[in-house]
Formats: sequence, structure tokens, C-alpha cells
Amino acid sequence: MTDYLDLAKRIVENASVNGVQAEAFIIDEIETTIQLGNGDVEKLSQSGSKGVGVRVIDNGRVGYAYTSDFGDNAIEQTWKSAVELASIASPDDFRKLPQPAEIPAMDLEIWDPELQNVSTEQKIELMKAITQAAHAHDARLAMVPMAQYLDFITHVYLANSNGFAGSYSRTAAVSILMVVGRDGTSVSQAFAVKASNFFSDLDPEEIGREAAERVVSMLGGEAVPTQVCTVVLDPIVAGELLGAVSRALTAESHQKGRSFLINKLGQDIASDKVTLIDNGRLKRGLSSAPFDGEGVPTSITRLIDEGVFQNVVYDTYTASKDGVQSTGNAQRGSHREVPSLGISNLYLQPGTKSQQEIISEIDNGMFVTRIMQTGGIDPITGDCSMGAYGQWIENGKLTQPVSGVTIATTLQDLLKNISEVGSDLQVIPLFGSINTPTLRVDNVTVGGTQS
Amino acid sequence: MIPESTVQKVLAEALKTGGDLAEIYVEDRTSLSLRMEDSKIENAVRGVDQGAGIRVFFGNLVTYAYTDDLSEESLLRAAAAAAAAGKGSSQKTVINLSKTSRPVLSPVLKSFDQLSIAVKAKLLSDADIVARGYNPQVKQFMAQYGELNCKVWMFNSDGLQVEDDRSFVEVGGLVIAQKGDVIQRGMAAFGGQKGLEILDENNFDDSVLKGAESAIKMLDARPAPAGDMTVVICNGWGGVLFHEACGHQMEADFITKGSSAYAGRIGEQVASPLISAYDDGTIPGRRGSLLFDDDGTPSQCTTLIEKGILKEYMWDLVEARRMNRESTGNGRRQSFRHLPMPRMTNTFIGAGENDPEEIIAETKKGIYIKQMAGGQAEIAKGDFVFNATEAYLIEDGKLTAPVRGATVMGNGPKVLSEIDMVGTDLALDPGRGTCGKFQTARVSVGQPTIRIPAVTVGGTDEPVAATMGI
Repeated sequence: MTDYLDLAKRIVENASVNGVQAEAFIIDEIETTIQLGNGDVEKLSQSGSKGVGVRVIDNGRVGYAYTSDFGDNAIEQTWKSAVELASIASPDDFRKLPQPAEIPAMDLEIWDPELQNVSTEQKIELMKAITQAAHAHDARLAMVPMAQYLDFITHVYLANSNGFAGSYSRTAAVSILMVVGRDGTSVSQAFAVKASNFFSDLDPEEIGREAAERVVSMLGGEAVPTQVCTVVLDPIVAGELLGAVSRALTAESHQKGRSFLINKLGQDIASDKVTLIDNGRLKRGLSSAPFDGEGVPTSITRLIDEGVFQNVVYDTYTASKDGVQSTGNAQRGSHREVPSLGISNLYLQPGTKSQQEIISEIDNGMFVTRIMQTGGIDPITGDCSMGAYGQWIENGKLTQPVSGVTIATTLQDLLKNISEVGSDLQVIPLFGSINTPTLRVDNVTVGGTQS
Repeated sequence: MIPESTVQKVLAEALKTGGDLAEIYVEDRTSLSLRMEDSKIENAVRGVDQGAGIRVFFGNLVTYAYTDDLSEESLLRAAAAAAAAGKGSSQKTVINLSKTSRPVLSPVLKSFDQLSIAVKAKLLSDADIVARGYNPQVKQFMAQYGELNCKVWMFNSDGLQVEDDRSFVEVGGLVIAQKGDVIQRGMAAFGGQKGLEILDENNFDDSVLKGAESAIKMLDARPAPAGDMTVVICNGWGGVLFHEACGHQMEADFITKGSSAYAGRIGEQVASPLISAYDDGTIPGRRGSLLFDDDGTPSQCTTLIEKGILKEYMWDLVEARRMNRESTGNGRRQSFRHLPMPRMTNTFIGAGENDPEEIIAETKKGIYIKQMAGGQAEIAKGDFVFNATEAYLIEDGKLTAPVRGATVMGNGPKVLSEIDMVGTDLALDPGRGTCGKFQTARVSVGQPTIRIPAVTVGGTDEPVAATMGI
């Protein structure tokens, strides 16, 4: 489909007159959705869609317009609209499009050539197999009210008036499970999400078993007395927290004073067990790409190195403001959005202990397997408070399920109190992708019944 | 938008393999958004998005295909793709379309083109001066202006033909204040299903001033207490409580599967007799209102709970057909790329009899939540959380120290049964609510001031005893 790259170049050529810089981003995607409810196929959807977003910079002023209509008139109206809108924006000399740079040749393994050959029937079979595997693992798994399969076959084309032109293709296959456990009058619920660039990575046995284990372990949970203790965060929970932390690790959040870590660059902000990396070139990374949303090659950035805050991620604007190179972190959710600075694949360097070993070293604490944190973790203020589910730990052993409690600390304290990093690295498909093992965190307040 | 002859052909194509109902949903969206930070208008974005989705029902199976090309050829291709799952032959014929109209619910009094983009941008830059001028501790101000017009047309093989024209304006600001190492935020927002008259009805500067005041106050906030305690929740935005604690669990997809804590409990006492709750898609100008929902069903006001008794759930067409009953007009979709599902519209707890000031005055110890960020629900057990961005301790019936980092966690059915005071001051939120359930939907929430005698608060400080006054 080089036609679309040609179209992008043509738009750029037309829009970049009178010293205006222009960029065209085209996305062409086929999306499949299959949903099973309690084992029956309920929803089937497959469609292709496309769109173009045009960004222009006129003397430091940004205008943006998009359309899904590729007719000549609509395209012309779109870039003209972007040029017209630029006159509204405030001039800012740091706003410019990047110069083209060489994209390192490397197979990022983000394209599954087999995905387009997998039939709808095979995908339905996969979700049925997952549902069955979940039931087979434990009779207390009462139902799988939703088993959803999604896949995306995506082609991206980008051109700018500095001479950049590039394209790449990417695939993703996702399984989302909602499971309900029941034992007598006790009820529990869990979600299990697995995503990969490759269809064959979705292993029905593993997905079904993990979902069943998770939901059954939460049955019969009760609140515990309010106390300060050590918590062990399952990778899925650690991933949600690191995702929030990562939003305070962008150059934009620092330049604009909305990060709980402002003015802390170069300082010790975390325990020396913490080494956190952003890797835009991670093999089979769900957010990997040869170049970012502005055409800058993606790269590897050491954010926190043995506890020391070393770097933030940059896009072209924030880099030019700080007089450094962009790290290739301009993200684009779709053609409808202006590129924005964000983390790609976050990677927390694993330690040497297994999850079980970490739990066995705790006298009194909580193993947290699920959190409800919407609105509760704030990367600007550092406030961190959420609902939690899991198991109580006494003398190194899991004793009883816990539910209906809160756990609270601050993100500042959380980073400093990470006293153990596990060896069990897992990919958590949230906010892009987060690769993290189990974490042990000390001095966390568990809020529950009156002590 | 699409000629009637095309509609007939496309619906017939969709039914070709034995489907029992076929539908075309057509959407045409235009939007404008402006973003300001660092005292600069960072960008201005205009978007056009149009397309159609073809849905076919085969009993309880629903198939779907969409296209961003509205030509007859492309629509027929989508119809064939949606029909492909069927193995049979045409069972049903397409009934002649008959258009259903309702009086316009949310008229636009001042169209989007009546003010230049420069004037809209000035709204943001003026507010920036207000925010930064309020106090030198205000270090950053971020603001957004957005307008959206979304026209939808729906046709189905039972002869349904309806259309809806939805216009939204939303304005929001975030004030960031800093003192030493402490950073706090304050919010300002309003919005609605209206034209630019909303800019005359609301004063963004006043709203930003309140946000700045809240951010500065919170700079001196101490950590919220932890553990079970009495919580008083403000009116308006406080309605996030019902939305998360009960609303989601009353959406029909969780009911027909039996996965909700409220499944099979119609007619039972599920809340305190002080509680009546409604989902009302017919309130003029509200963000969650619809003339017709995205299945083509007229919107309505549904009584969910009456004096504590569970009366009804929220139904879309798919779940209603499954149970052989009527939809309540709660079928909504994010765009033509999405299948509809049961969603809330404008959901609120009705007014009670307590003077709101009395509720605080009669509380010996607890916390008062004045602003909240958002929340989350768990369906099977009915657990919920929501987070306070501005909260105060209540001591001897008076608001005292501001507290930060307060998350409330509770169980919906339990909390709803325990609410012991309900204020007279019912209000809906300022109009910027968005709900996420795999897809996003514009919604409103609301409630009067209410009191929960004991619920878990997730702070880090010593708990305050849950003792009741009087």
C-alpha cells in the first residue's frame, strides 16, 4: 500500500507553502472483535477503517485537522483547515517538525504474518477453549460472562516537509476475560487481559488457568484491621502503579510543573533495587515501532538507574526546549489526536527472588492481587490511595483472602520503600505495555476495620 | 444522508443469510478543540468523522461491520460482511420505513459558527490570567475548549427510521499550585448538550477562580485518615457514588448474565427507604440526554430504585430482545465503529428531607468530600471506589482541616442500605462527566448531600472514630 505513503507526501507538498511545515499521518486498520457470553458467541465484528491527520506549523503555531474521507475535496479541506487553525495558536519557537534521521534496521517482531490467515472460526475456538480451560481449572469458577477477542492489523504511513517518509505495519491480538467466582454465598470477580503481537502467543490453557486462579483466590475475602504493613504487589498490580509513575517521567510533565518528581532529576528517588527503562525498540513490545509519531527513531532511555532519577523521555518539542535530542516518544493513539509525549514499553529490571520467596520472608502483610485505582493515583501530587483485594500474609504464608480494604501511600514513598523486586517478569498490557515483576513495598497503610 | 432506496437495498442484503433484524446506523461528526497550557494556545484541532455500521441479529448473536465510505457499494459490502455469519436464506422482508419524530429535546440556541475561533481561544487565555493572578503559588494552568456536533440516522428492517442531532460544548481547566515540595490541583469545568449559549449561562472565570481557591487550600491539607468512618458527600458531582456503587451493576448486560449483585432482585429492598434513584435520558441540555438512543429507542426516565425498592434495570435492544421485553432506551455506542451496549444516561439520587448544613452539623466526626476525581465499580460483589480531590475533616459538626489522598471504598448494596441522611439540595454535576466501559460515553451524575455512617476511607493517617452525633 505505498499509495498511502504517496498520498501522505502529496498532502505535505500541498500544505507546506509559504514557509509552513507540514506532516501527514495515515492509519489504515482492520479490527476484529468477537465476544462470547457464558460460552456462546454473542458479537462478531470485523471492519476496516482509515484516516489522515495533518499537522502544520506556521512560524511556531500548530494547527491540526483530520478526516476519514479520502476524497480529493475532503483531503484538501483538511489540510487547509489545519493551516487556517494554526493562526489561532500562540507562536512558540520550539515548535518544529524533526529532521529526518536514519531508522536503524532491526526486526522488532511486531508483525505476525499469520494473523491475516487465522479464520474467524479459529478465533471463536480460541475463546471457547479459554472459557473451558477456566471452568476446568476450578469448579468454583461460576461463570465467564464475557470473553472478548480483539485483533488489529495496522498500517501506518508518515511524511513531513523536512523530507521524512516512512511506514510500518503492526499486528496485535488481545484476549479480555471477565470471570466470576462463587462459593456458597461468597462471590468474587476478576479481569484477565493478555495481549501479544502474535496470535499464537495466546495460550488458552494458560489464560484460562490464570483467570480461574485469580478469581478463586479472592473468594471469601474480608476486611482486616487498619494498620501499616508490608505489601507484596502481584505484577498486574505493580504494572498499574508503574504506569501512573511513568506519567511523571516525561519531559513535558517536568517542563510544565505537573510531576511529583519535579526538580528531582539526578537525585535518589527510589530504592537502589529500582532500575526502570523505557524501550521503544523492545522486541515483541506492544508499543514498539521503528519510529515514533513524528518520524523520530525510537530508542532506549534509562529513566531510573539503581534508584537515581537519570532521564525523562522527550518528543521533538520538549527536546528542543531543553536543547537535547528527542528520545522518540511522541505517541499517536489515532489520526484523530495530535501526537503527544508518553512512555512506550516500560521495563522494570527484574531481581532474583521468586514471588513465593518474597512472600515467605514477610511476617505480617498483604499480598495484593487486584486494585481499583481510577482517580486514586495522581502523578501530579503523588497521592496514591486505592481499593485492594488479595490475601493476608502471616509468618511467610498466605492465610486468608482480603477484600474491601484500601491501601495508601504516596508515589514518593512507594518508590523509596520498594524493598524487593521479583524475578517473575510479566508483560502487563496497560497504557501501552509495562513489563514488571512482583514488588515488595514496606510501610503502606492498609485501611479497613477499626483496630 | 443516504437515499431511501439504498437503505432498503442494504437492509435486504444484510438479511440475506437468515438474520431476523438488520439495522443501519449512520453518523456524521464534526469537532473543534483548543488546548492551552504554559499560557499558550498549544494547538487547535478540527475533525471530521463519518461512517456507518450495519448490524444483523440472528437470535442472540449480533454481527457487525462498519465503513467510513457512505457510497451504496461500500454499504452493501459492509452489509454482506455482517451477514456472512448467517448460514440460512432470507426469512424476513424489509418493512417500509416510517419515520418517527419527537420534539427536539436539547435545542441549540446559538450555533457554533456564531463566535470566531479566536473568541473561543480568548475564553481560555482570559481564564489563564484569572488563575495565575489569584495567587503566586499557582504555577500552571491548563485549559481545554471543545465542541462537537454529532448527527445520527438509524434505520432497521422493522421499518424504524429516526434521527438525532446532538451538539456538545465542554470547557475545562486544571489549576496546579505548588508550595515547596507539595503540589496540588484544582479543577474547573462545565459543559452540556447545548450550543454556544452555554458560554453566556456559565462564567468560566468564576469556575477557574474556585478551582484555584481549592488548589491553594489543598496545599495545606494533611493526609486523609485511614479506616472506617462517617463520610458526607457533596451534592452534584457526589453522584459518582451512585454511578459506581449501583449504576453499573444495574446495566442489563450484567443482569441477563447473572453476573451482577442486583440480578434477580426486582421488588426487593436494596437500599435505605430514603433512597430513590433514576436514570433520565430526557433532561434538556444534559450531557447524557438522548432524543433516541443508539438503537433508535426513544429515551425515557427510568425509576431504578423507589424508596429503597429495586424497580428496574437499564436495557438496550440486544438485552431486551434476549429477555423478550422492551428496551429502556439505554443502548449507546462510542461511534459508528462500535456496537451499542447498555449504558447510563443522566443518573441521580432524588432529593431527601435533610437540610444539607444540618447533615454536617449533626456529624460529630468524619470527613466531608467536596470534589471528586473519579471512580470504578466491580460488578459481581458490587464493590466500588471513588477518589476525593478536595475533602475536609468534620469535627463536632464543623468542617475543619483539609485532607488529601482520600479514596472511599465500599460495597454498593451495603452502603446504599446504610445511608442515613439525604439532603434537599439535589443537583446534577457541572457537565463534564465521561464514563468508560470498554467504550466512552458522555454521562451526567447527580445527588443531594448524603451521609454514610461508616465506610472505608483509604488515607494514611490515624483513623477518626465513626461516632454519630445526636
